[in-house]
Amino acid sequence: MNLEKVVFGFFIVLAMTLNFGFFIGDIDNPTHHHVYELYAAIIVSLIATVLKFGDRTHVGAILLSTSLAADLQLIAAAILWAALSGKMDESSLTVYIVSLSGGALMANFVSVILLISETISQRR
Amino acid sequence: MNSVLFLMLRRLRRPLILIIVSFAISVIGLSLMPGVDDKDQLWHMSIFEAFYVISYTATTIGFGEIPYPFSQAQRLWMTFSIYFTVIPWFYAIGRIITLLQDPGLRLAMVTERFTNSVRSLQEPFYILCSYGESASLLAKALDEKDIRVVVIESQQDRINELELGNTYNVIPNLCADAKLPENLVRAGVHHPLCCGVVTLTDDDEVNLAVAVAVKLMNPSLPVLARAERDDIAANMASFGTDHIINPYTLFGDQLAMRVHALGTYILHEWLTDTPGDKLPPPEYPPLGRWVVCGYGRFGKSVVKNLEREHISTTIIEAAPELTGCNKCILGSGTEAKTLLEADINNAVGIVAGTDNDINNLSIVMTAFELNPKLFVVIRKNKHHNNALFKQFNADITMQPTDIIAHECLAHMISPLLAQFLELVRNQTNEWANQLISQLVSIVGESVPETWAVTINHANAPAVTELLNNGASVSLENLTQDPLNREQRLSLVPLMLSRNNQPLLVPDTSTKLMAGDCILFCGRPSAKSALPTLLNNTKILTYMINGVEIPDSLVWRWLKNWVN
Repeated sequence: MNLEKVVFGFFIVLAMTLNFGFFIGDIDNPTHHHVYELYAAIIVSLIATVLKFGDRTHVGAILLSTSLAADLQLIAAAILWAALSGKMDESSLTVYIVSLSGGALMANFVSVILLISETISQRR
Repeated sequence: MNSVLFLMLRRLRRPLILIIVSFAISVIGLSLMPGVDDKDQLWHMSIFEAFYVISYTATTIGFGEIPYPFSQAQRLWMTFSIYFTVIPWFYAIGRIITLLQDPGLRLAMVTERFTNSVRSLQEPFYILCSYGESASLLAKALDEKDIRVVVIESQQDRINELELGNTYNVIPNLCADAKLPENLVRAGVHHPLCCGVVTLTDDDEVNLAVAVAVKLMNPSLPVLARAERDDIAANMASFGTDHIINPYTLFGDQLAMRVHALGTYILHEWLTDTPGDKLPPPEYPPLGRWVVCGYGRFGKSVVKNLEREHISTTIIEAAPELTGCNKCILGSGTEAKTLLEADINNAVGIVAGTDNDINNLSIVMTAFELNPKLFVVIRKNKHHNNALFKQFNADITMQPTDIIAHECLAHMISPLLAQFLELVRNQTNEWANQLISQLVSIVGESVPETWAVTINHANAPAVTELLNNGASVSLENLTQDPLNREQRLSLVPLMLSRNNQPLLVPDTSTKLMAGDCILFCGRPSAKSALPTLLNNTKILTYMINGVEIPDSLVWRWLKNWVN
């Protein structure tokens, strides 16, 4: 067992699960989506991105790009939240934020699938 | 830049994660700390506000307590955050600076920059696989002629010299071993605009390795290689090296040319020198008996060529068994005794051709004392002895670097020039003298530009258009000044090649045909004026018959109507 692999897998899976936790619930109900969960998802997603830096293999490159896609959407959601809260109807703002995080969830999902497929193809 | 970026990112992984984690903890803590707003209500910072405060604190900018004065709990957390975030921040900056100074990374960046600048070259270029004395001369001359070059050199001080030098065009350079194929690829061996590789290091093995590598990677690419040993030269020729340059053979050839036909020699030197330079008037080597000191590669070549011109020689050699000399006087030639034994008083010339500069100078100084009328040919080996040789001022100083550079230039400027010089050697001395006086009267005393023009649609659209319309364009029309058709441009057509049949110094009344290649020689101003004639149909028509053809639709219609 390799500690580095454990940490790597942990952060990638955690990024997806936190993202999913934030995403689940009624899309226009602000009480179903907590700000700290989005915050945690962003932080973990950023850490996962940095962990993927410098891998020159093809799978490594795709993993990094999915992570960057997830970061982009999550940060866009956070910026929307910070900029528009109090300025517009709360339920429609929630729809924007949650749909963006839904996009990020897809990216994280692809990332996890890649991780699993790479693990399965590992012969040792 | 790709690989360098990833190398940096990989090394920055730890500091980046440290920053993310410390920021995350500080931000979340600050947003959880209870505060008081301006109406004494319980107030929590939003995550965005907390992120803002932590960002300016961690980067040591410090705007103060925004938007309301902090509560005790918030100040307590901020105190913790300051130490917790500022330290990772400086650690990361320190790492970035260390990384930028890392020699490995710098090398990767320099290599990457070189590869990119070669890849983005939009003009034809040559690769020089060294930047020694002859290569630097060559690079300077090519740069003057506006031909791009790329340099690979294994010694950093020579690269520095190149970077400090004054050039018209940027010369991409890399400090690397040219023997490694990957470096040749970086220098553009596979580049579609690469027109040749020149390898002129003083190590024959390196030249051989480069020539082999280039011929394997891109067989169609011309290779010019320097080779002093016969076995290496034969080896190079065996796999198709296009031009093998041996400075000693070349010098012997040129010496023979001087004895035999001085005019031809001057023409040769003149057309392959750096434009704008002035050539010193060359000496005429006397006929008679010569004394040759040193029977190495240089001496052998000199003796062979002098004997071909029916000049008898006396050879002085210190180690006859090593050099395979069967009829020679034993000694180094530095003592008067050996020279007297060679009957120096009755000789007309002396050649000091050993591989030791100091010995060579000693030989000629001793010989000069014995017979002040001697014609002196001296071989210079090391560039740093330049001052000594200048002081002595021999009739001919043989500089391998100059000879190599000239020979390369003849092949690189245009294949036509090399062909022209080859043909000139078969002409008489009188012919060459006549051509020189013609050139001097038109072009002037300084070294002219030499360039080739092909009459085809891409290079001379105006000429091809007129030819296709049935008009006749003569060579004379291309020598007319576009500003005043009565005057002549200062250029001379040296050769016209039609269907690979060369015509030396064609008459100006020669009619042009599509597909002709013309070698011109002339002043830089003429070289820059010529494209106007080649590209602009209106001006060319005016040159031919003095009639301005109407350009616009209305004027053309009016002209037809009047007629």
